[in-house]
Amino acid sequence: MAEVTAGGADSASTAPIFVRKATGLVRGWAMVDGSIYAFYACNIVLGLWCLSFGSFIPNGSLFWAIVICAGLTVFMIFTYAALTSAMPRAGGDYVWQSRILSGGVGFVLAMTGWWFILWHWVPIYANITVISVFDPLLQIVGAHGLAADLTTHTGVFVSSLIVIGITWAYISLGMRSYARLQRISFWAGGLAFAIFVILMLVNSHADFVSAFNRESHSLYGAHGNVYAQTLKKSGYNAHSLLSFNPGQTFLMVGFIAFYLIYPNWGATLAGEVRGANDMKKNVRAMGAALLMVTVFSLIFLALFSKTFGWQFYNAVNASYWGGGPFTAYPFPIMMGGWLVSSHVFQFILVALFSLWIFGWYGTVFLSSTRVIFAAAFDRILPEWAAYVSPKRRVPVAALLLMVVPSVIVALLYAYWGSFATYTLDAGLVIVVTYLGTSIAAAIMPWRLKRVYQNSAVAGYKVLGLPAITVVGVASAAFMLYLLIIWLSDGVFGVNNVDSLIYMGILYAIALAIYVAAKVVRARQGMRLDEAMNEIPAE
Amino acid sequence: MPLFSRRGSGPRVFFATDIHGSETCFRKFLNSAKFYEADVIVLGGDMTGKALVPIISNGDGRLHCYLQDQRHEFGADETDRYERMIRDRGLYPFHTTESELADLRRSPERLQALDRQSILDVVQQWVDLADERLEGTTIRAFVCPGNDDMTEIDEILHNSKRLEVGEGRVIDLDDGFQILSTGWANRTPWNTDREEDEDDMARRIAAMVAQATAPPEKLIFNFHCPPHGTALDEAPELTEDLGVVGGGRVLAHVGSTAVREAIEANQPILSLHGHIHEARGAARLGRTLSINPGSAYETGDLQGAVIELDTQGAVKRYRLTIG
Repeated sequence: MAEVTAGGADSASTAPIFVRKATGLVRGWAMVDGSIYAFYACNIVLGLWCLSFGSFIPNGSLFWAIVICAGLTVFMIFTYAALTSAMPRAGGDYVWQSRILSGGVGFVLAMTGWWFILWHWVPIYANITVISVFDPLLQIVGAHGLAADLTTHTGVFVSSLIVIGITWAYISLGMRSYARLQRISFWAGGLAFAIFVILMLVNSHADFVSAFNRESHSLYGAHGNVYAQTLKKSGYNAHSLLSFNPGQTFLMVGFIAFYLIYPNWGATLAGEVRGANDMKKNVRAMGAALLMVTVFSLIFLALFSKTFGWQFYNAVNASYWGGGPFTAYPFPIMMGGWLVSSHVFQFILVALFSLWIFGWYGTVFLSSTRVIFAAAFDRILPEWAAYVSPKRRVPVAALLLMVVPSVIVALLYAYWGSFATYTLDAGLVIVVTYLGTSIAAAIMPWRLKRVYQNSAVAGYKVLGLPAITVVGVASAAFMLYLLIIWLSDGVFGVNNVDSLIYMGILYAIALAIYVAAKVVRARQGMRLDEAMNEIPAE
Repeated sequence: MPLFSRRGSGPRVFFATDIHGSETCFRKFLNSAKFYEADVIVLGGDMTGKALVPIISNGDGRLHCYLQDQRHEFGADETDRYERMIRDRGLYPFHTTESELADLRRSPERLQALDRQSILDVVQQWVDLADERLEGTTIRAFVCPGNDDMTEIDEILHNSKRLEVGEGRVIDLDDGFQILSTGWANRTPWNTDREEDEDDMARRIAAMVAQATAPPEKLIFNFHCPPHGTALDEAPELTEDLGVVGGGRVLAHVGSTAVREAIEANQPILSLHGHIHEARGAARLGRTLSINPGSAYETGDLQGAVIELDTQGAVKRYRLTIG
């Protein structure tokens, strides 16, 4: 007979419990990898691009908007940690919503948010890669023509194909290799970040002015005192780094959320992770990522203010978005690298930091494949959608369901001018999915009473109310706020009619698939919703 | 309203596995035949729980216990509720005091005996419950202990009036189908009760297959261990000290090569597996549909699969369920 020991495999456990040596008794899962995955999802390089939008709301504070957005995202972290703990299933949002709200709502919201909309993230990843990596590197090595080619239709399309190719390679390599690459990229990118911090600390504002003028001449063919021209021509007059205008700063949260609200990105994989029902670890893994990205973002801003000059940082962003005089994307790492005159050094710094982009690629398809699996298991999608190649363990079908439409979207993005505007919905649709999950969490204690009461989550109360309800309501309120400002204020660019129609079409396609699946399965004699109902346990 | 609206002419099978002592899951299993209109219900291996939870007397009339790292304190009038909560999670409650608990920690033999008796008591209760619930029905219910189930439970299961123990047997079902079962698994890092080398697994399976008289299209393998190298046997890869690699996201194939070879050689129409809770899914090995419905016993959800067979020997349709 198997041995019985106190405490269990995880020596950290101090609660009196006696565990028999049985299959699956493993030590607790490492928080580090979960955190790194979440760190990539809340990608700091995307964040630097989002910060460049700060100039669109001149009276708002980027600094405080980051703090506020991170604070509000904590509610979302608790919501997802609680759901993961109570129902640790692969498929995340889809499974929770379909079981707590309804099969149809779960499918439509989760499939749109995790499947269709991720196709539209490919050109976004590509664009960030071009402006933050390819363009600076090509300019440094003097390949100005090639850099210009990347901004053409074909260049944009090829960049998207590069994103798709690298992502496919990551997933094809398997999770072992991806986890290893993820860690290597994390630490190498961290090294670049540390070098950047040191450079910005040891150099003065005057050093930067000189470096900016030198390299903008050398690399971008600018003339004269570009620094002064940028300050003057942009017409931008920023407030100080720490000034706080509540209304405008809360509005600014709409830009910050575009990169900061994804620490929950790994939740769809929870069913594959033994020990995922440990709520504290879930909170810590997501919270650590959010904290890292938040602190790094604030450090960036403080350094920009010190060395670039706060006025100039905002002016150069306004210049980029507003047509000059400095029209290249003012990628902060690149500009920081200019503090050292060696082009070799500049190249190495940008290349090292770019690993925080390449590590990010895995997040564009990986989580989505699990949502597709879950819908295939429920037989809404066909059985083949869950096919995994036995030799390489590659989810071939789910990956193709991501890749093929992504190529089409990339084509449209590259060659059909107005289509790029629609990709701004990429964040909006995900937030609608989060909203659905937040509502599901809030009502879980009543809709899935037994599951809730059986979980560790039931032990947490706030003023006598289920904690999952409180955090779910707070998270839903945050998501609603984001939707309201995104849809009501033109500064975010998503409240145009075409955008809304396009978004509506995506939801309509998901609904059509669900209805078609119901009809087809009914003809086969199968009722889709029945498999989601609970067997009486009396 | 049933899961499948039209009845096929062959048997409809509900399969669940790895409930690890969860009373909620066992009760659901007994009700599954009615819920899914199944003719045959099969409970795969690993029926028994993995842990004892002491309910400790505070000495002042109140008690406390730890569940999922949370301390719960309660009065004597709530004891039943907490015992049920513990059992629902697949754990075994026992009453004790702080001093007795300290003694128990120092006495592995007593702890082992307590664990053994707790398991046997619950298995006996489950058998009684099954006999009561299934009496007067035509439902056929099979169990087959798995590698985590100690061998002493077999005698209790064999004494059941309504549960049929599948281990090592070829059992006839309606319409000429036969089901072959074993709960044995290939070697694990935990040295569990029913595990052996692949060669021995191969011999065990071959002995059963030799007794089968049904053609492949009427054969069902109910082997606890999933076939190696499929999506059904992927578990988190472990380090030597049983830590998980890559945050638990790095997976490795841990199924049995003997099971895979047996499926590939004999091509049963259906093979049912468990053992790896996270590897929920279905796979095709030639003409064989292999299913591992996974397990979420900790949350009281009964993950399963409903499979409708054709009298001619085909899987008409199947569906993974969470009930």
